[in-house]
Amino acid sequence: MFSFPEISSELYITAAPVLILVVGSMIALLQSVSKSLGSRGAVESTAWITVLAAMAATTMIPTAPTEYLAGGLLSGTLSRFGEVMIMAVAVGVMMMMREHHSGASFFRGEIVSLFLMLLSGMLVMIASDDLVTLFVGLELASIGLYVVIGYTNSNRRSQEGAIKYFILGSVAAAILLFGMALLYASCGTMRMSGIVAALPSVAGHGWARIGALLTLVGLAFKLALVPFHMWAPDAYESAPTGITAFMATTVKIMILTVALRLFTGTFSSMNEVWYPAIIILAVLSMIVGNIMALVQTNLKRMLAYSSIAHSGYMAVAICALSTTATGLPVRAILFYLLSYVVVSLGAFAVVMALETEDNDQLTIDDLSGLAKNHPWLAGAMTVFMFSFSGMPPTAGFIGKFFIFNAALTNHLYGLVLIGVIGSSISLFYYLRIVVRMYMADAVAPFGAVKAASGRFSLTAAILALSVAITVLLGTILPGEAMERLVGTAAEIARK
Amino acid sequence: MEFFNSHVLSIMTFLPLLVGAGIFLVPSDQFARLAALAGSILTFFVSLHVWHYFDAASAKVQFVESYIWMPEFGIRAIFGVDGISLLLVMLTTALLPLVILSLWHSHVKNLRFFLGAIMALQTGMLGALVALDLVFFYVFWEAMLIPMYFIIGIWGGARRIYATTKFILYTVVGSLLMLAAAIVLYISYHRQTGIYSTSILDLYSASLDPRTQLWLFGCFALAFAIKVPMWPFHTWLPDAHVEAPTAGSVILAGVLLKMGTYGFLRFAIPLFPQAVPTFAPILVFLGLVGIIYGALTAWVQKDAKKLVAYSSVSHLGFVVIGSVALLADGSLSSEALTGALYQMINHGVSTGALFFLVGVIYERRHTRMLADFGGLASAMPWYSVILIVATLGSVGLPGTGGFVGEFLILLGTFQSSPGAALLAGTGVLLGAIYMLTLCRKILFGPLTHEENKKLKDLTPLEFAYLVPLAVLIIVMGVFPEFFIGKSKASIEHLAKNYRSYSLAIDSH
Repeated sequence: MFSFPEISSELYITAAPVLILVVGSMIALLQSVSKSLGSRGAVESTAWITVLAAMAATTMIPTAPTEYLAGGLLSGTLSRFGEVMIMAVAVGVMMMMREHHSGASFFRGEIVSLFLMLLSGMLVMIASDDLVTLFVGLELASIGLYVVIGYTNSNRRSQEGAIKYFILGSVAAAILLFGMALLYASCGTMRMSGIVAALPSVAGHGWARIGALLTLVGLAFKLALVPFHMWAPDAYESAPTGITAFMATTVKIMILTVALRLFTGTFSSMNEVWYPAIIILAVLSMIVGNIMALVQTNLKRMLAYSSIAHSGYMAVAICALSTTATGLPVRAILFYLLSYVVVSLGAFAVVMALETEDNDQLTIDDLSGLAKNHPWLAGAMTVFMFSFSGMPPTAGFIGKFFIFNAALTNHLYGLVLIGVIGSSISLFYYLRIVVRMYMADAVAPFGAVKAASGRFSLTAAILALSVAITVLLGTILPGEAMERLVGTAAEIARK
Repeated sequence: MEFFNSHVLSIMTFLPLLVGAGIFLVPSDQFARLAALAGSILTFFVSLHVWHYFDAASAKVQFVESYIWMPEFGIRAIFGVDGISLLLVMLTTALLPLVILSLWHSHVKNLRFFLGAIMALQTGMLGALVALDLVFFYVFWEAMLIPMYFIIGIWGGARRIYATTKFILYTVVGSLLMLAAAIVLYISYHRQTGIYSTSILDLYSASLDPRTQLWLFGCFALAFAIKVPMWPFHTWLPDAHVEAPTAGSVILAGVLLKMGTYGFLRFAIPLFPQAVPTFAPILVFLGLVGIIYGALTAWVQKDAKKLVAYSSVSHLGFVVIGSVALLADGSLSSEALTGALYQMINHGVSTGALFFLVGVIYERRHTRMLADFGGLASAMPWYSVILIVATLGSVGLPGTGGFVGEFLILLGTFQSSPGAALLAGTGVLLGAIYMLTLCRKILFGPLTHEENKKLKDLTPLEFAYLVPLAVLIIVMGVFPEFFIGKSKASIEHLAKNYRSYSLAIDSH
């Protein structure tokens, strides 16, 4: 029988970030109906107060893994890790938007309301063990994103990208939901931990297998793994760059958290279904992502394809989850994710700093001579590009080292070989940016960039922070960071 | 002093990087030059300290420092030198002040960035030489590429972007495979002993099955072969050299290429000894092809810099065959190994000098084509003297360091395979032909070009960085024992015991 859940103070603390965001979202929505309250300044204050309060609240999530609301809400280190990262990205993106010309259309009551709402959806998805709650969180996040992509810039391309993302995303959601339903039908529970426990006994069952496969496809869609990546380049290109940065990072955080919860422990029982499928996804993503990135001229499209390739590297480590030594792959994925998020945010911040209202689709050639006009921007971008390509002494190298380490421990020699080939290809297009910035002569529009955006202070802070973290994670802190992830890995493995 | 003594290698390694970072803070370019010069000379003095207190009688690694980086994964920063790395460290620290001196009057754009890159490069090179941990070695090995990439790409010639991209892509493809192989080795060692360690002092004792050793040796060898570069992976080298600014070429030829041959001696051979008998003939074959192909290609070059670049391919072929000269009893020939090491140093000095010399005339005439010169002996007598010394050192005339190196390599190779020695011997002959051709075309014959008549001879500054190299070429030929003596014990140890290699730590 249904019993009313027990309410404890820990529950409130764990749920606080979501609650804060929902309340903030409502306030922003109400503000949008009034002319004076709906001014940019007022809406922005609501947004900042809400996001900062929610961010502070995420850091207080208890580290002891506990379930609340019949599995609808989880505390624990993984939830905290994911939620803090998402909120940190949100703060970073808002800082960037503030100084960007698209900020004017972003800091409107209805958009901010949606933004806060989609953030709450992401947090719900990360901290949920219940498939229904999880799906609600995912849809909340996705629907918010479709609208924010389309409405922030009201030009045609932006709307086209939003519609494409919407259609493909809805199909993906349907597939995911269908997979979940089949898993429920086979396992008799909506709880992820229950499914993880029940799968071994139903693994031979046809419907369970189809359910498992469809769930994987749904997640792969959201992660933009090839061949389910088609939406990503268009959506990345058409969205305002701040939203692109947000999308490129938070969606990965959210989906990978779910993937880690689902795959850790169940992998061996669904080996025959998941293992070959993820290998194919990983191989295709690394090859197609890198090769397609090679031929792009639009900076954001190039970053989109490169992010597909990075998803591929992380999928390599997911394959490594199949064995009992789960600790290393989990930590490798989380470390890689952390470095990817930091570096992506930084790279997009550089792109945003250079965009003007007339030219918001930068090409790689537009970066020519940047080192001369903006040596600090160029220097930061160089660090990010070297980190993306996995060169020491940056976080990207350590991330790649641990991914390879996890994969080779599980004898995935072929995958590592393809990862090596992919990384070599990727170096070429990442370096092309460095070449443009340092070794090519400046082209005309660049003198104007600095004048156009004027204020650089918040973006500069983001850049300095990203560079610092990228370098520190590559030199002094990697051991420390990996040690902190031990608890998270153990927490997932225990289930 | 206590602190200095126990951290001398890390001080030596990171001092240039610190100076390089400081260069950005100084007010003027002239200050930047001074700071860089002072920093590199200071580094040289620190390395002299190491040289002086190095115990030549011992094959142990000395001045060892060990810092824990990632304890859980057994990744440590271990620094140490033995007789093999010591000579290369000295080559690096000695060459760098000269390179910076050569930039004293140059007005390249963005000089501070250039000097900073050179200093960072020095840290990378020294770090790769003293690192005794696979991960740290890899970090320095790759970090070395980044400054070189900028040096060629920003201050290079017309096709600099093509050249620098090719340079970095070739190197990275090889080194990523090396990284994967290093991880496999690390995992295998953990499976055997239950201990995670990336220290090569531990990994030397890993006993892998022969098949695995073959694969891993292959991956390491590929990375090193690209770096050396051995035929057929050499195609990046002429491009990189031709496009690089003089300072970049000198460092590239002088030190960077030796990282490949050093890698064979430090990593590939002692880590995977059972693969050596299989790979030795292949490496000897590729080395021989490199010697002869490099020599013949150098012979027909019209561009002086390209000629010297191809001569590097040829000379480093000698180093490779000297590194893998297997004797009948399965040990390596210690004569050949000594020769290989000596040839690395000698090539660094003489080719470094040659690139400087090509740079000198290029600066005056803005051309490097041999046809544009001739008869410079009368216009630039001092220049001619130094060019002849460098050429003779490169050719291996008795009385120069080159002779000692090549002689020892041929001696050892002859014991291992007379045929290979014979073929390599033709390389010596060809070397004499193309190098003397270079000399003849630049220095002798009629002074046909009007503008060559009023060329200025060497300036005091040019003397300052060329004379030390010329002196060194001769000193190395006359007193080889002074240099080889330091590495004799280490070389003997590697040659005899590479199949069950171990490096003990000298804790004095």
